[in-house]
Parts: sequence; structure tokens; C-alpha cells
Amino acid sequence: MSSNRLADSGARDAIIDVRGLAKTFQVVRKRAGVSGSLRAVLRPERTTVDAVRDLSFAMADGELLGFIGPNGAGKSTTIKMLTGILHPTAGEATVLGLVPWRERRQLAYHIGTVFGQRPQLWFHLPAIDTLRLFGRIYEMDDALVRRRIGLLAEAFEIGHLLETPVSKLSLGQRMRCEIAASLLHAPRLILLDEPSIGLDVVAKQRIRDTIRDMNAREDVAVLLTSHDAGDIEALCKRVIIVNHGRIIYQDRVSALKRTHLTCKVVGVLFAERLAEPFAMPGVDVLKAGRDGYGLKLAFDSRTTPVERVLAQLVAAGTVVDITITDPSLEEVIRAIYEAAEPDGAPGEAAASTGLGALDAGP
Amino acid sequence: MTAATRKYGSIFTAQLANGLTYPLDLLGRALSIVVFLWVFLHLWRSVYATDGSQAIAGLTLADTLWYLMLAETIVLSKPRISADIARSVRDGSVAYQLARPYNFVLYHFSVGLADAIVRAAMTALVGGALVWALVGPPPPASGWPLAAIAVLLGWLLDFSMSALIGLSAFVTEDTSAFDWIYSKAVLVLGGVLLPLDFLPEGLGSVARALPFAYTVWAPARVFVSPDPARFLALAGAQLAWLAVLALLLAAAWRWAIRRVAINGG
Repeated sequence: MSSNRLADSGARDAIIDVRGLAKTFQVVRKRAGVSGSLRAVLRPERTTVDAVRDLSFAMADGELLGFIGPNGAGKSTTIKMLTGILHPTAGEATVLGLVPWRERRQLAYHIGTVFGQRPQLWFHLPAIDTLRLFGRIYEMDDALVRRRIGLLAEAFEIGHLLETPVSKLSLGQRMRCEIAASLLHAPRLILLDEPSIGLDVVAKQRIRDTIRDMNAREDVAVLLTSHDAGDIEALCKRVIIVNHGRIIYQDRVSALKRTHLTCKVVGVLFAERLAEPFAMPGVDVLKAGRDGYGLKLAFDSRTTPVERVLAQLVAAGTVVDITITDPSLEEVIRAIYEAAEPDGAPGEAAASTGLGALDAGP
Repeated sequence: MTAATRKYGSIFTAQLANGLTYPLDLLGRALSIVVFLWVFLHLWRSVYATDGSQAIAGLTLADTLWYLMLAETIVLSKPRISADIARSVRDGSVAYQLARPYNFVLYHFSVGLADAIVRAAMTALVGGALVWALVGPPPPASGWPLAAIAVLLGWLLDFSMSALIGLSAFVTEDTSAFDWIYSKAVLVLGGVLLPLDFLPEGLGSVARALPFAYTVWAPARVFVSPDPARFLALAGAQLAWLAVLALLLAAAWRWAIRRVAINGG
């Protein structure tokens, strides 16, 4: 039944179609202490929290779509509505042609989910046991399960980890197994909710590579949520940024990079006091250490390439330590808001990095 | 074998393997029955001595002790489905459980049954050895299969009532108050403290008209007096209550799933 409707929805059409989706939660407010608890039982003060308000977007088959926003922006709530776990307060959505909260179990055969903060693999058992169990749960035949496990073990480089109890794996190893487990039944769409949370840089990069690889190899569409703009930058072609339950930005990642992710902040520590204060066209000195050893700079990497700044710094003195950071997601969001400010000069603001004081400008 | 039995069967066997990971933990759990049985032995030995009769309501001292051994085993081994559901709502793992193509309640029943069987095997071994040493051999082995069936039905009945409480966690998160009431009802009206046969006539018939009796009293009673007529009557009552609770659970599920509020981001 479901497969007919899947076929009807067309090959390259939207696999996710969301129109005016909203979710409000009733939260009982509780004051501190025992008397507060008592009062919450006797006369509960309910407040309404709008987790998601009027969300509309579409996602194409095979797409790698990023869904980012700070904690509490409504990302997970949206994912949970798209998997059919939560019923929306208002609005409509179809995923693979199905209404998630009405056809949850049917939909489950065609989608995979990874919630980065919660394990799905059975903790005391080797991952291979959970994979075989999932094979049964998704009603796959044993030969297919063996073939898929072989393929995923190779793609995720987890062949040597599968026989080890999950409790003995590192977080990075476990997360690779977690994502592999979600792909076992060859879903057409996989929803990754914060898959890189808590991972170190190397493990993060490895996860990103594998996700990109699986998207290309199996043509599985990936909806990725993260509060790390780096994940999106490395993986996605298109990004949706949400804040307070609303979409505040929706465009290609390349456009976001061009407009909002170009500002770099560099912190340097020199071995000796600089003979003269550091200065370079296009580079803002944010902070110069009172002792003269440390320096914090900001510049726009479109107009001032990173390597030129680094060369200049090395020429200025013996560098002991150096860090280069991208603007945080919070800064990017602030910049987007500033760019959209109605009484400012929108054109000009959108063209700049929008990072206000950090923006060096030509 | 249908896909459904394979599905829930696999969940059951995976949890069996999971449960056997820490045998020492299991043994420690099982040892708690020793304390209960020791207290019961002294209590009932003096009751029978004071009464001066061989049997009370048709049960000898040995029957009573074997009854209490199985009753305690059933209660000590059963997982609290309500607590499992409440925990999965609190820690958010319910999000995975709801995003898979299985029935949420049957998933918890499969896991719970595996837990119950692993723990009961160990507990019955410890408790059985003790009671055998104290009051003599168990009831005839020919009746054990009947008792095993009644134990399984009893657990399913308990899981159903517990799941009913557990589903309220979708809305309230906390189920401990209902849990407490339920466990006390099983303790007194279910026949954990003493065989329901010992209760005064009025209270006894009230208890036998309620579902709690069929979680513990029915299987333990079949175990000590395994005549087929008794088994059929009690197992029939178990099945009838299971049917009623299945309907209630289905209705509760439809109500709860629309209201689920999941913690976290």
C-alpha cells in the first residue's frame, strides 16, 4: 500500500513537504522548593511554549539538507513531528507521501533516525546483535541483512568493532555504528539529530565524510540538525536556520558562507614582545595583550586571504601558538537578524559579513 | 513463522542475551527471596502449630511454603513495565521506540518477558532449593508445565495493567503514585502475602473477582494443586482478563499517542 503511494509521489519530487507546521507544549511551571511543588500539584500554573511556529519548507529526494539553530530552536521537535512521534498543533506535512503522525509505522520502514544524544544500540551487546535484531524488526530476509551489514561495515570502517560490546566502544566508534544501524534497512531518508555532539574534531570529520559518502553511494536523502555550523558547512548544499521555532534563513550553504561565514578570528601568542604594533590593511586588531605577547585579530577571508594574514604574523615575530575560529552560530544568527533589520539598509547589511564590530570592511 | 513472531521473538532473544550479561547481578537479586521465605517459614510454622491442624483451607504447611516460593518468584522477577515506559519517556529513548515499525506496547512486553524469565529461573532455583531443604519436595513435576503456562499468562496480565499505568507517563512523566497503589493491590489482593484461600469468605471472593488475583495467586495455586479442572478455570479467567485489558490498552494507546510530549531540545 505504502509502496504504491511512494511510487505515485514521483521520482525526484519533494520527499518532505511541510506547510505551516506548528507545535505548542503545555508546561506546568513549578516554583522552587517544597511549597512550590505542592502549589504545582494543587493549582498548576500552565504556560504555553511555542516550540515550532508556522514552519514551511520542502526537501528534494537525495538532498543533503542542514537544519540548524541554537538549543531550543525547535529542531528536534520538527524532526519528531516528521517521524510521526509528535502530533503537530497545526499545519500539514508529508514525508515520502505519508502523513507521519497518521502512518507512523508504515513510514518507519522507509526512514532512518539517529538521535545523537541517545543510544539506540543495545548497550551490553555487540553492535552486530542489534543490527541483526533490526533486520528482523524491519522484516528483511537474512541474506539481505548479511549483505547490508557487509556493505555498511566497509563504508563506516566498523568491521572490526561489530563483535565488541557497545559499552566498550569510544563515542566516535559508537556513533559510526549508530548511524550504520539506521541505514541497515536502506531507508530513502535519514534524519540525523545532532550526530556529532560531543565528538572530537577528528571523529567529527570522520562522521561527516561517511555521511557524505553514504548520501552519494545510496542516494539517501539526509536531513541533518546541528548546532555546529561546521557540520552544515562541511556537508550540506542547502541550509535552513531556525530560531525560536521560526525559519530565519533558507538558502544554499554557499550563499551563507559568502555572506555570513567569511569572518575569521585569529588569536596569536608570540615568543617575544613585538617591536612595533601589528597592523595590516583589511585586518582589525580586536585586542592586543597589555604585555605585548598576545593578539586577537578579525578579518574577512573574502578580501583578505587567511594565508596572507598568517604570513604577515609569522614575519612579525616568533609565533608560539595560533588559533583560527569561525564565527559561532549565535554570531551568524545575530548577523542574519541584523541583515534583515527593516529600518537599516538591508542591501548593504546583507553584502557585509554583518558581524558589526568584527567586520573590517575594505 | 510469520514476520511478526520473528520480530517480537528477536526482541525477546536479544533481551535474554542482554539479561545474561551479568550473572552475578542476577544471583544477588535472586538471593533476596531467601529473606522473605525465611520469615514466611517461621510465621506459618507457628500458625499451623497453633491451629493444630494438618491443613488450612486444603493447604499443608509444605503446600503453603511452595505456594509462597512461586508467588515471591513471580513478583520479584517481574519487571515494572510502567517504570520502563516512564523511563523511556524521561530519557527520550521513546523517540527511537516510536520511530520503528513495531507495536510499542508489544516491544515492552517482549523485553519484559525476557527479563522476567531470566530472573525467575535464578530466583526459583535459589528459593526452590531453600524450601525443599526446609519442608520437603515440591509438588509433582507433571503439574509444572501447567504452572508455567499460568505464570506466563499472569505476567502478561501484570504487564497489561502496568502498561496502562505506564502510558499515563506520556502525559505526566511520573507514574510512581499509581505504581505504588498497584503494587500494594497485588500484594494483598493478588495473593503475594498469603494464599487467597486463607482470606475470610467475603474478602476472598472480592479478591478473586479482581484481575490482581490472576497475576500471582492463580499460577501459584495451580503449581501446588495441579488438577486440570482448576487449571482450566484459572487460565480461562486469566485469558478473559487479558482480553479486557487488551481493549483498555488499545483505547489508552489511542489517547496517549496524541498527547505524547517528549523531553529534550
